[in-house]
Amino acid sequence: MSITELTFEELAALVKQSAGVTVAPEDLRNASDVPFSALGVDSLGLLGIVGELENRHGVALPPDAERSKTPADFLGLVNSTLTTGV
Amino acid sequence: MNRRVAVTGIGVVAPGGTGTAAFWNLLSEGRTATRGITLFDPAGLRSRIAAECDFDPLAHGLDPELSLHADRYIQFAAVAAGEAVRDSGLDTAAEDPWRVGVSLGSAVGGTTRLEHDYVLVSAGGQRWDVDHRAADPKLHLAFSPSTLASFVAERFGARGPVQTVSTGCTSGLDAVGYAFHTIQEGRADVCIAGASDSPISPITMACFDAIKATSPDNDDPEHASKPFDDRRNGFVMGEGAAVLVLEEYEHARARGAHVYCEIGGYATFGNAYHMTGLTGEGLEMSRAIDSTLDQARLDPTRIDYVNAHGSGTRQNDRHETAAVKRSLGAHAYDTPMSSIKSMVGHSLGAIGAIEVAACVLALQHQVVPPTANYEVPDPECDLDYVPRTARPRKLRNVLSVGSGFGGFQSAVLLTEPAGRTR
Amino acid sequence: MSTEQPKRAVVTGVGVIAPNGLSADTYWKSVQEGIGVLDRITREGCEHLPLKVAGEVRSFDASTLIEDRFLVQTDRFSHYAMAAASLALDDAGLGRDAPEDPFSVGVVTAAGSGGGEFGQRELQKLWGQGSKFVGPYQSIAWFYAASTGQISIRSGFKGPCGVVASDEAGGLDALAHAARAVRRGTGAVVVGAAEAPLAPYSMVCQLGYPELSTVEEPDRAYRPFTAGASGFVPAEGGAVLVVEDEDRARDRGTAVRAVVAGHGATFTGASRWAESREGLARAIRVALDEAGCAPEEIDVVFADALGVPEADRAEALALADALGAHAARVPVTAPKTGIGRAYCGAPVLDVAAAVLAMEHGLVPPTPNVFDVCHDIDLVVSRARPADLRTALVLSRGLMGSNAALVVRRGDETAR
Repeated sequence: MSITELTFEELAALVKQSAGVTVAPEDLRNASDVPFSALGVDSLGLLGIVGELENRHGVALPPDAERSKTPADFLGLVNSTLTTGV
Repeated sequence: MNRRVAVTGIGVVAPGGTGTAAFWNLLSEGRTATRGITLFDPAGLRSRIAAECDFDPLAHGLDPELSLHADRYIQFAAVAAGEAVRDSGLDTAAEDPWRVGVSLGSAVGGTTRLEHDYVLVSAGGQRWDVDHRAADPKLHLAFSPSTLASFVAERFGARGPVQTVSTGCTSGLDAVGYAFHTIQEGRADVCIAGASDSPISPITMACFDAIKATSPDNDDPEHASKPFDDRRNGFVMGEGAAVLVLEEYEHARARGAHVYCEIGGYATFGNAYHMTGLTGEGLEMSRAIDSTLDQARLDPTRIDYVNAHGSGTRQNDRHETAAVKRSLGAHAYDTPMSSIKSMVGHSLGAIGAIEVAACVLALQHQVVPPTANYEVPDPECDLDYVPRTARPRKLRNVLSVGSGFGGFQSAVLLTEPAGRTR
Repeated sequence: MSTEQPKRAVVTGVGVIAPNGLSADTYWKSVQEGIGVLDRITREGCEHLPLKVAGEVRSFDASTLIEDRFLVQTDRFSHYAMAAASLALDDAGLGRDAPEDPFSVGVVTAAGSGGGEFGQRELQKLWGQGSKFVGPYQSIAWFYAASTGQISIRSGFKGPCGVVASDEAGGLDALAHAARAVRRGTGAVVVGAAEAPLAPYSMVCQLGYPELSTVEEPDRAYRPFTAGASGFVPAEGGAVLVVEDEDRARDRGTAVRAVVAGHGATFTGASRWAESREGLARAIRVALDEAGCAPEEIDVVFADALGVPEADRAEALALADALGAHAARVPVTAPKTGIGRAYCGAPVLDVAAAVLAMEHGLVPPTPNVFDVCHDIDLVVSRARPADLRTALVLSRGLMGSNAALVVRRGDETAR
């Protein structure tokens, strides 16, 4: 099981892969409180990202991870799970 | 010139029992047919419950060849169509075959068979370059859902317009609607109309798992489908079929057929919003309802019952409540609205036809089927959902509404023959 | 409303994504010149299968026409449909933005097999790795309604949306469905079909069709109406049209390309091709009747041309039955022999070709066919100039549906 934190770089790549939305990692970092919906990432896209992370790291993310409103919320939730190894 | 369209026959294969009588018993008694999945081993899935049909094709008169080779959803449709045609008293051999059409819906068609053979040809999902030698030589019959309408047309000698309709979870409503137009506009005098799906398979369960659309209440399957209840957490997969015999009104009268009701109107619109999501406003479904009322020249206050889509997802039930309030206004609060998915689950493309059949039976028995499992009100769903117990009521005009992936919003209006105002 | 003249449904836009052209113009150029593009199938994982020849859409870059967020959630069959819809909307001058009244535009597609390639990928994840590896888009990419839903969402069209899956003839049924929606009051309908049946498992599924050609030489694999007829060759791609209320089209100053004048549909059973003679003849008569069209008015026939001897004979006889003596005189063509049969997309491509043929005054030829052994005037080798005012398009499905559509030239019918 990985204890590596999810970075903005990785999140940007996942957003591209799962939701088809191109966003630069630094833009994600600088605007981490901009809602996913404003970026064009919908609930299905987030479910895809959650599924990918769960499969990649072999851990279950919290039940409502896909309801995170912003990249900052999402990273907070994911990283607390990944690093505590729940 | 618009011709009147009558419903003269009903056939149902639904969870809880095959045949219209068993179906109506289940609904009027408010029993649920949801349970742990037995059709395959669901271990590892998030949602491991479904409303399954206990269905024995041989016992229902299908010959051994069909029992072995036809897809389950086609067997359902064949049995339901057989019951509907018998019920209508129509002598199909005596009809002009070119004036008999078929309009049947299915959301996922032969995917259960497709998945079964996929596993064989791919060595259990191990190879992209699949080995055709392991496939059933009749696999092509599962490739396109057109097999459904083709098969039923063949069985009942229909040679008029024959089509399979596949608009996701409104397929059943739309198939009835297309048949309505076909007769109304004079392209056929009789239409065998309905829908069938048998989606309880690993791939279909997994794909709804992936978007958390299905209920994870695996420990209490009987109470898992909870439309409009504040505790609702997704739909419960179902399977089955319903078929109606639709007939030009004078054609039905001329042969002395029993007319259950008329189709008063049908409409469908897209929400152009999201493939799976729904708005909170219900504008497009409301527009479909309004259109059916216009077609029948019926005031909204004349609606006596709304058969809801009521899938039991958070979004759907609010969307639909908003739509009905938008169309019926204050009368919405006086109109019972129930979801039979609480009892028979959500059989994707089939359910729209099963729900229309429920509406026809509600009109016949003058009883509103309940919403089973409804206990805890959701403040945003504040209509009369007919909790748990069927309710006798004078019914003349009944609406069935549905929403489907892809944004489809459809409505079918059923009217008592004498209830027509025109 | 009821005192007005009946509304007429006209074609104002044509979009094509076909093996022989990625726009209506390039498609027409290939069709008119009789260029055949049937070739060995090159898709990964298909090399070993006994079906060797098909019409592949090549050098199609979906990302130039469709946004990435739509691409990730859709199969190739929807890519083709969405791209063809964009081209048709551009052609009709409707643009890609939501219309002022979103309810005035609907979407109807026909679908034979859905998103098979996407589905195979997800099945592989499910059975090879486990259910948690199935992605969120399987629920919306594989099913038959995917293209209608995505076109509606992408452009904000809230009018009547529908999907027919009635086999190859479903392409014509969809056009009729759209025309009727227009006659009932919808302003315009984006309508058509595109298919993508050339993924490995989808191909396995087709191997059981008794009508499938397994001839391995591309220019000999699909030769209807000849003694060498050996079945049909599948294709991918399709066409999308904008079918619009004539008054609405004229009000906004758009050229009326053609009129969808009449449609007939019948059923005579899967693979009982001799019986399709009667079914097809009946469908033609119903379509002519709806169009108010005499048999002699038909200037060109776009044949179904299945390539099965019994079916070809039935089609030739159906024409004679329905058109009488005129059947021996009317030019017949089957441009699909150059590209294969794209299932529901095939007859929509033929309607696109019919519209273009009427505009150009040319009956396109039937590629790879020279030695016709039926009593019809099949146009071969090169296009034949002719004044074409009315076209008849025929289609039959492998599961037994027959359909006929009468299309009239736009400028012939101004009122």
